[in-house]
Amino acid sequence: MAEPLVRMERISKSYGSVQALKDVTFTVAEREIVGLLGDNGAGKSTLIKILSGAVPASSGEIWFRGRKLEIRGTQDAIAAGIETIYQDSALVPQLSIARNLFLGREPLTGPAFLNRMDKATMNRVAGELLARVGITKRIPPTTPISSLSGGERQSVAIARAMYFDSDLIILDEPTNNLGVAETQGVLRFVRNARDSGHSCIFIAHNIHHVFQVVDRIVVLRRGEVVADAIDPKRTSIEEVERVITGLDEEAAA
Amino acid sequence: MSVRIGVEATGGEAAGPAPPSLLRRLTARPELGPFLLLVAELAVFGAINPQFLSPQNIGNVLTFTVELGLIALPMTLLMTSGEFDLSVGSVFGFSAVLMWTLFNTEVLSLPAAFLVALLVAAAIGLANGLFVTKLKIPSFLVTLGMLLVVRGTALFITDGFPQRTWKSSGEWIATVLVGDFYIGPLRVYMSLFWFVLAALLLGYVLTQTKAGNWIQASGGNPAAARARGVDVERTKIALFMLTSVMAALAGIISSIRTSAANPNSGMGYELEVIAMVVIGGTALMGGRGTIIGTVLGVFILRTMRNGIVLIGVPGLAYNIFIGAIILGMMSLHSWLDRRHQAGG
Repeated sequence: MAEPLVRMERISKSYGSVQALKDVTFTVAEREIVGLLGDNGAGKSTLIKILSGAVPASSGEIWFRGRKLEIRGTQDAIAAGIETIYQDSALVPQLSIARNLFLGREPLTGPAFLNRMDKATMNRVAGELLARVGITKRIPPTTPISSLSGGERQSVAIARAMYFDSDLIILDEPTNNLGVAETQGVLRFVRNARDSGHSCIFIAHNIHHVFQVVDRIVVLRRGEVVADAIDPKRTSIEEVERVITGLDEEAAA
Repeated sequence: MSVRIGVEATGGEAAGPAPPSLLRRLTARPELGPFLLLVAELAVFGAINPQFLSPQNIGNVLTFTVELGLIALPMTLLMTSGEFDLSVGSVFGFSAVLMWTLFNTEVLSLPAAFLVALLVAAAIGLANGLFVTKLKIPSFLVTLGMLLVVRGTALFITDGFPQRTWKSSGEWIATVLVGDFYIGPLRVYMSLFWFVLAALLLGYVLTQTKAGNWIQASGGNPAAARARGVDVERTKIALFMLTSVMAALAGIISSIRTSAANPNSGMGYELEVIAMVVIGGTALMGGRGTIIGTVLGVFILRTMRNGIVLIGVPGLAYNIFIGAIILGMMSLHSWLDRRHQAGG
């Protein structure tokens, strides 16, 4: 079997006396879209936060392209090629679209000591990307994020992942609060990402959205993996719902 | 870096709104209100008392204004990053006292004492920053505590008496910092030059540089900034240090100009400086800052102080006007913000 793009091995995480994750092993292959499902408190967000460097694991290892990865912070994850699009888009409301897009990786122009941002490039690229992610309305890239709708904000976050060409894109509830057209735009983006060689982890409460795009579904329940190879083409939504809620085990008992 | 993933448009609105008109863009700027207020002040005071616009009075106003301005400028950056510093007034008083004590007791030459005073101020800023970022104590409490420590130290080492500063004449550093010259009938101090330089430099940092982007992001949404790899803590610590050093510089300049290093000087400046910054349009809670607005805010308050005296209003009534200006300007900024966010 080919080496997976990412392999999280025996990951555990405790918050005080609460064990959020117990010995979770989770993999994503190259060019694979994995749907990560689970009820509230199942541990999805914790697992993603560990992979994106937002919180450290209590124990366990992360392997990326066959190499052990030490993720001490978000910068390490970003440098390794892991981009996360959070539920709240993680944007700065007062900053412009272009400034948000390049935040943390601003291109510079002129002598290094001047620390001067290349605003012309930032605005030009931001304008092009906005059209590509589906904002066809004429919004200047200098518009502050606070003036945008929820869908437009999500599109900006997606545009960022596209531009920086990350190997693994984690989408944490990307379709929340989005209209129908905007949701379809996000789903189309995920499919295109796979077609152009990227891998994605897709987390969403709406199972219908997950079924539309993913290759494989992993289900977490109370901090443990209870299913990690559900094929959405051969499984019904109702069956997956039973796995998520634990009704499948009750029926078997 | 390249764009590899192609995504087609989802077919939203084909034609968008026209770009905003010049008037609309102008009214969206937080500096417009302060600018109009300053113009109104100059017009009213100048009309009532022609002495107000005399070169002598302008020179007087500029002299003290720029000293407070030297603190307000870095405070703008600090507040944009979501923090503020109440210890600047005490650092203003303490640094001058420290420098002159070291010099008068012949421990150090004046330039060396100047350098030590700035380094100690940087250490005070570093302590403020570490308390705020590492121990997660709000800057209000940290800098209030630091205000008392620094002011107390200044009073303790001087027994409450001012330090002699008359020996500064002839020292090159005194000339560089606060030497005076005439432009026609207008007497100008070197401190004006330092203020203009600081305004240009910090304005450039805030609007044009990567550091400026990080400062705004740190105040606007620290969690998002961290997620993008921005070192929010280091950014804030650097700004606490800059603010403290600039407050020390202002205090030293003031002590040389007035020939007095009083351990009590700078008392209450912290609130006046913060008022100058917010009047100019910088958000108290961070995320948005404007150096141009702060320059306007500095002049609004100092012009008001000078103007009401010249038109015969008792100086004791000064605070009434300042309070009214703060309330009026805050209402205006809040209204503009809501209007802007509603897309109106």
